[in-house]
Amino acid sequence: MGRLLLIARLAGRDLRRRPAEAALLLLAITAATTTLTLGLVMHGVAGDPYQRTREASAGPDVVASVMPDPVTGAPADPAVLTELSGADEIAASSGPFPVAGTTVEVGGRTADVQAVGRPAEPADVDRPIVTDGEWLGGGDGVVVEAAFADALGIEAGDTVTLGGESVEVAGIAVTAAMTPYPAASCLVVCTPITINGEPVRDMAVDVLEEPGLIWVGESMATSLAADPDDLAYVSYLRLDDPDAAQAFADARIPNGPMDAMLEPWPHIYEQVTHIERNAQRVLLTGAWLLGILAVASVAVLVGGRMADQTRRVGLLKAVGGTPGLVAAVLLAEYVLVALVAAAAGLVAGGLTAPAITDRAAGLLGGAATPSLTAATVATVTAVALGVAVVATFVPAVRAARTSTVAALNDAARPPRRVGWLIALSARLPVAVLIAVRVAGRRPRRVALSIASMTVTVSGIVAALAANAELNTQLASDPDPRMERLGDVLAVITVTLVALAAVNTVVATWATVLDVRYSSAVTRALGATPAQLAAGLSLAQVLPAFLGAVLGSAGGPLLYDAVDQDDVVLPPAWWLVAVVVGVVVAVSALTVVPARLAARRPVAPMLQGELA
Amino acid sequence: MQQEVVLALLAKEPSHGYQLRARLRQALGPVGEAMNAGQVYVVLTRLEKAGLVTTESPAPATAKDTADRKTYALTAKGQHRVAEWLTEVSWPKPDLAEFHLKLVAAAAAGLADPLSIVDTQRRELLRRLREAQRAAMAEPDGSDAALLLEGIVLRLQADLRWLEACERSWTTRRSAP
Amino acid sequence: MSTTILSTRGLTKTYGDGESLVRAVDGVDLDVAAGETVAVMGPSGCGKSTLLHLVGGLDRPTAGEIHLAGRRVDQLTERTLARLRRTDVGFVFQAFHLMDELTVVENVELPALLAGRSPRAARARATELLRRVGLAAKAAALPTALSGGQRQRVAVARALSNEPVLVLADEPTGNLDSAATLDVLRLFEELHEAGQTLVIVTHDERIAATADRLISMRDGAFVDETRLTGGTSGRLGALAELEG
Repeated sequence: MGRLLLIARLAGRDLRRRPAEAALLLLAITAATTTLTLGLVMHGVAGDPYQRTREASAGPDVVASVMPDPVTGAPADPAVLTELSGADEIAASSGPFPVAGTTVEVGGRTADVQAVGRPAEPADVDRPIVTDGEWLGGGDGVVVEAAFADALGIEAGDTVTLGGESVEVAGIAVTAAMTPYPAASCLVVCTPITINGEPVRDMAVDVLEEPGLIWVGESMATSLAADPDDLAYVSYLRLDDPDAAQAFADARIPNGPMDAMLEPWPHIYEQVTHIERNAQRVLLTGAWLLGILAVASVAVLVGGRMADQTRRVGLLKAVGGTPGLVAAVLLAEYVLVALVAAAAGLVAGGLTAPAITDRAAGLLGGAATPSLTAATVATVTAVALGVAVVATFVPAVRAARTSTVAALNDAARPPRRVGWLIALSARLPVAVLIAVRVAGRRPRRVALSIASMTVTVSGIVAALAANAELNTQLASDPDPRMERLGDVLAVITVTLVALAAVNTVVATWATVLDVRYSSAVTRALGATPAQLAAGLSLAQVLPAFLGAVLGSAGGPLLYDAVDQDDVVLPPAWWLVAVVVGVVVAVSALTVVPARLAARRPVAPMLQGELA
Repeated sequence: MQQEVVLALLAKEPSHGYQLRARLRQALGPVGEAMNAGQVYVVLTRLEKAGLVTTESPAPATAKDTADRKTYALTAKGQHRVAEWLTEVSWPKPDLAEFHLKLVAAAAAGLADPLSIVDTQRRELLRRLREAQRAAMAEPDGSDAALLLEGIVLRLQADLRWLEACERSWTTRRSAP
Repeated sequence: MSTTILSTRGLTKTYGDGESLVRAVDGVDLDVAAGETVAVMGPSGCGKSTLLHLVGGLDRPTAGEIHLAGRRVDQLTERTLARLRRTDVGFVFQAFHLMDELTVVENVELPALLAGRSPRAARARATELLRRVGLAAKAAALPTALSGGQRQRVAVARALSNEPVLVLADEPTGNLDSAATLDVLRLFEELHEAGQTLVIVTHDERIAATADRLISMRDGAFVDETRLTGGTSGRLGALAELEG
């Protein structure tokens, strides 16, 4: 008990002794955990929504439908579907359900819909998942497919005009039995029907355009049809072997307009994923980029702190601490910070995630994904603790290995010497000379800064390019899903930029702390505060500039990798603007810490080094 | 100067008086400059009387018979004395007690301010230190004399530090009621 | 009478306020003539380092005046002070304060580069200075490969880089053994003979004794001044108990 108290007290002391560094460490790990949370949420959403929806909604293996002959107007025969349900391979089925083509009016907008008549009780096959409100209650309420509802701005509880009658929207739901709006497959007759390339206009039945999907009571479906003969029918079939769905459909290719149309689930799956593939790639790539950035920022900070710890380890050992106690104190310190950071990151990530999930749910046609799953919480906490353990492990091992005296004498991490860089810098103006030498002391940190900026700028450039392409597509073909994809892109871009900003500030502080001694000497030798501040700032701006240049070259490559379609390269002046923007932003972020550091009194630092 | 020093210098081999003097000059460096030229001969004569050294005059034919031409050598008794001296642990001791009592007496009788005595003494020691230090700086590294000078410098430094302690102590005593 | 290089009047530096007010330097008047070597001695905490920092423009006085090379410098902006440190003052510290990642010659040329000299001129001057302090052979070595005395000689060479009118040394032998101290003292003596003005703060009596003038400092104020120049007594022998 006394031992635990001692460990806790020592850990707490050290954190309080350098509150700025502790806060910075907390900030960096929090940024990392927040990003990781977002990344995991995105990954969860983008993972495989169709499969999840299919499992959750008892999705059909084959969707079978019959519709009236569009040319002759002969009515559809549901007995064809009933007969099909009796086939040997069928394990379960639901339907046939009547389908009526009609229109819905809401907020001054009119859209064609196919209204599927369903009983109130759940069917064996295809149980749409209600994301908002409730399922059909046997009354006059209707349920609207999520993507369609989103496009028209319909929410549960709204009143819409369906086929001229006012009805209440009981709920919003998703299904695996049909591609989400506006790519829905047609259960009723839809345009465009072409013969020899010419659209056929004179149909015997009403023709719908890009219909949405609405579930209504069975009797309402019948009454929505102008004539009972106009009704189409749909059945949902489950096979003994889901993998046989394609073969089942292939064996029953319709011979005439009155035969059942069969759509096996792989076909729907392909439709869904074909449309959403870009969105998935955007989300997954975004998650990866954010992950890399998070690791970079933690590496900079923990690396800097570990050097500091070596001396502290020596002190602890000198006053009689065993290697075990030393490790425990270091671990306690990091675990404390890591747990707080994990909690803060989960909260921040959880608050930000709906910006992605809310959009992604409709976008991907999947069920609404909870922002934070237990797995996400566990992973984020584990990673934060992992950082703590790694940050403890290296100094602890060193503590066990090095002698107490060596640890005490080992001041900070000795700076690196890059000879040619020092020689080169002698020819440069004073501020640049200082910058190059400051940067040259820590090549690994510079590499991390460059990498971090390359990742960020690649992401930004790719997002810009994607956005430009989206806008071009939207101009010619307004599609609500594309707009939502744009929103997701924006969230990723903002997160990237925010994290890069945190990285820059962390790296600047780490540098400022690292060079406070040589800064003091440089000033004693006659560098002005302005020269030193400019030097410290430039030491961050130079790698950022390099990273930005690399990133603007890498961005289009990244975009190319994400989007296999023709790459529309962003105009050159964009890339220039991004590079200039990065330089300006990094200058602005570093100027405050650099100026503070450059104005710090010199004398105490030069004296303090004597101790 | 200790007679034993001269005896010990003869232990290696019989020498002329001038050789002994040269050896002393080399070992002492600037410190030896103050040494009277005749001092070695005075000591040698005394040692001879005590039966610790014998002299051997050169062949009479060439002798102008000056003291310089004599060769001095250790007797058995002299050898013994040298061996004895080398094992002795005597150490020159500065008389700090005298100075300390001077301060106490001056303060008690109100004859003089102990602080000004300390101050005067300090200046004197600083002057000596300056001399020794300058002499040390002029010596080439590793010479015998440099080592001696370093010893002198370090002792003077120690004395100066003690004077500082005296000054502090007497300052507090004066300010105390 | 030679010209006065440095002069302070009522120089005061305080820290804190009220009960906890500390007078690190308390009304110091100091005049240093060109070519003079002045040692300021006192126990640690007496304010001698603060005095040096004030004079060299590393710190600002609370009150009082500082005149350096005929110019009042206590009111200068930080920027002008930096220029002053660059051109008029050279610092030598107890802890050497060499940059470990720079070679010896790169350390020595640094002040010249900061002053905007051409790389070629800076290197030439540094090489010349290293020759002067006897370390020409170590030009390409890193400071960590040198002994303490050698490092301090490098630091002295660096202090001379821009030909300062005043060299300020803060416990220059504090980290050195006896032999290395002698080395540095010899170097200071050479500078002295070359006409360099030197102010050294120390608690090492050996340095103090070799100065032209020795000032004792207690609690931020000068308490005593001793002029040590003048003929030697020629009685070194007395020191070794050779007489009597």
